[in-house]
Amino acid sequence: MAALSFERVSYAYPGAGRPALAGIDLEIEPGQLVLLVGGSGSGKSTLLRAALGLVPHFHGGELRGRVRVAGLDTREHRPGALARQVGLVFQDPESQLVMGRPDREAAFGLENLGYPAGEIAVRAREALAAVGAAGLAGRPAAALSGGEAQRVAIASVLAMGQPILLLDEPTSQLDPVAAEELLGLVVRINRDRGVTVVLAEHRTGRLFAEADRVIAMEDGRLTVDAAPPVAARALATSAQWMLPPVTQAFARAGRAELPLTVRAARALITAPPRAPTTPLPAADAAVGVARAHKRLGDVDALAGTSTAFERGRVTALIGENGAGKTTLARAVCGLLDLDRGRVEPVPARAGYVGQDPAHYLLHDTARDEVAYALRNLGVPGRERDRRVDEALARLGLAAFGDRHPRDLSSGERQRLAIAAVTVMEPELLVLDEPTRGVDGLRKLALVELARSLAADGAAVVVVTHDMDFAAEAADSVTSMAAGRVLSDRAPRTLLASGIFFVSQLGLALGRASQADAVAFLTEPLEAAHV
Amino acid sequence: MKPLPAALVTGPPLLAAIAAWSPLWLAAAAIGAALLLAAAPPPRRLYAVTAIGSGLVVFVINPFVSVQGLTVLWQGPHIPILDTQITVEEVAYGAGAGMRVAASALAVAAFVRLADPDLLLRAFSRVAPRSAMIAALATRMLPALERDAAGIVTAARTRAARLSKPRTAAGLLGPLLASSLERSLSVAEAMEARGYGSPARTRAPERATAGREWALAGLGGCALALVVAALIGGVTDFRYYDTLGDPWQPAAMAGAGLLLALLGTAAAVVRWPR
Repeated sequence: MAALSFERVSYAYPGAGRPALAGIDLEIEPGQLVLLVGGSGSGKSTLLRAALGLVPHFHGGELRGRVRVAGLDTREHRPGALARQVGLVFQDPESQLVMGRPDREAAFGLENLGYPAGEIAVRAREALAAVGAAGLAGRPAAALSGGEAQRVAIASVLAMGQPILLLDEPTSQLDPVAAEELLGLVVRINRDRGVTVVLAEHRTGRLFAEADRVIAMEDGRLTVDAAPPVAARALATSAQWMLPPVTQAFARAGRAELPLTVRAARALITAPPRAPTTPLPAADAAVGVARAHKRLGDVDALAGTSTAFERGRVTALIGENGAGKTTLARAVCGLLDLDRGRVEPVPARAGYVGQDPAHYLLHDTARDEVAYALRNLGVPGRERDRRVDEALARLGLAAFGDRHPRDLSSGERQRLAIAAVTVMEPELLVLDEPTRGVDGLRKLALVELARSLAADGAAVVVVTHDMDFAAEAADSVTSMAAGRVLSDRAPRTLLASGIFFVSQLGLALGRASQADAVAFLTEPLEAAHV
Repeated sequence: MKPLPAALVTGPPLLAAIAAWSPLWLAAAAIGAALLLAAAPPPRRLYAVTAIGSGLVVFVINPFVSVQGLTVLWQGPHIPILDTQITVEEVAYGAGAGMRVAASALAVAAFVRLADPDLLLRAFSRVAPRSAMIAALATRMLPALERDAAGIVTAARTRAARLSKPRTAAGLLGPLLASSLERSLSVAEAMEARGYGSPARTRAPERATAGREWALAGLGGCALALVVAALIGGVTDFRYYDTLGDPWQPAAMAGAGLLLALLGTAAAVVRWPR
């Protein structure tokens, strides 16, 4: 019996113009590890929700065809009953924490499933330990960072030990080390315990080759469903951005081989020479901090931090969860007062796009949303309209001007938030985790946007855990740990030479970005590789 | 804190606020509930501002919509619909009604902040899963509202909004509510996805009741007995119209003072270092 089966499944959310799932036929055998890829709004999350019966039981709408979970028809069994068979980790960790403390969160599902009281504490503790969150057990859930909340959310589903595990972008808020550990854990659970895993991810680098199958979606349909090497060939011609960065580089370089892992790529080249590290030319600082201290609760979020962000340059601010990146970013934007130290020079106009785009949705239309900052600045009508049009077009939102912002998808909301801030033409722009929930194609657009704003003279700072994105977007890299700056404005080649905070291309080819990697792969053969 | 001691200690001021008429009893209930809220863990400000603000609105509006009382305090110009003849009795009744509203809201807020919402959810999830889910969402809504409010204010500040303007600040309330509702929907979905509502629900082992909770239950029980006895004995009665009664009755003063002392002691027990 299939673990999950979809028979001619179509589904539309209530009031939606087009179906979120269209004619899905799919069978997933017990013990398979399936990677689900596709753009934002392609139907991945809806497919996962349908597998737990949340679609249509929770969301309403019209479901055609049949979805079966371990033989149980989701039309006849509600999510509460299906929860014994299948667990789902949602995309946004902060919105799925039910209880006030991580240990109780991990126990919540076990209580619902009727586990004996004595077993609950043990399983909850083990699950928290498995994701490196045992130390968080008694902390208030409200005080958890995004990455910590994500670990707790994952632990609370793992604790339930269902035979089918669905994960919707589980690493979107984790630093590279934590993401590596988590995906390793998922693979172990699949291999050692035979748990069926379906994992939707935009960052495919770590899991593409590990999967038994790769399924690609577009407009609610399955476009590719094959073993990883076959899927890679198909995607190399239709949607390269869904491939792991190293595979993309080989495809772009026109190479016949398409390695799916760092190891496979290395086997295709001789040891690459270390990428040349050219010091960055000096540039004007748009903003800087000197010996900055900030205590948040019991934590020194900034502990004597000194750095600067320069005009005309994109700087990636990287570091583990809780390193102080967001605190520094908010301080330089004037959104947070320092306990000690100073911000100098102070930018004339700073823009900050935070992690939750919903906080930027105040108006009834996307156009009004973008115009809001200009109205506050007293920009006259005609000039305002022109700049609003430009900002919407730049972010690919020209067709959405009259739509209500809350009717937009999460990716569209993210872009609208960026448009609503960049329309002010800030001297300093901070994008805090801009790739959360953003697909590969949109990431490329974000790279273009960041670089064009920097080319216009702005200092652009991207706070990110996505090393592949950082490698594409940034000119320089500042890394932080425990409230201190570890490396200050290093050239982006840092992302090719690190140990953990390193892009996949850096690991495989010693080159940080696609452009550098493609240049390396297409240079005369005798130079570096066979 | 476990829900039962929290209910026992916040129940008496709520009961007094709902059923008493004496301004002394209403004041004791309001002050006592405010002390309990002040002793509870943060966030508290939003609750306090909402409760006291609601009470003030009732106090201000009542004299203009009520046409009672014989002791004229001020005679204003004729305005259709509004009563511009303000009497001492209307002002006193408005003050009493304002205290009633504020005390009720403060007592409920104190319960929300004192009772552990996880334990509340556990306690009721088997007998009334839907109600427990709504209660769980509600108890999380205000802290989440506060976090969302901070995020929305930050986002507005970075877009050059001048939040000192009341109209600008008021414009953020709608989006704040929308964000909160979206979040509640997501939490409800996550609860259902993890089997919430199953009839076979069990409970993880919980810690034993602490000495502080026993003490609060005792103080709350005494306060509850006092309020019930006072209500039955008519000690909490008071006349506002046509002319004001005398609020300074010895029994009312003694009873209200004792209620305040019990609630103040309870607040001190809550704050007592662990």
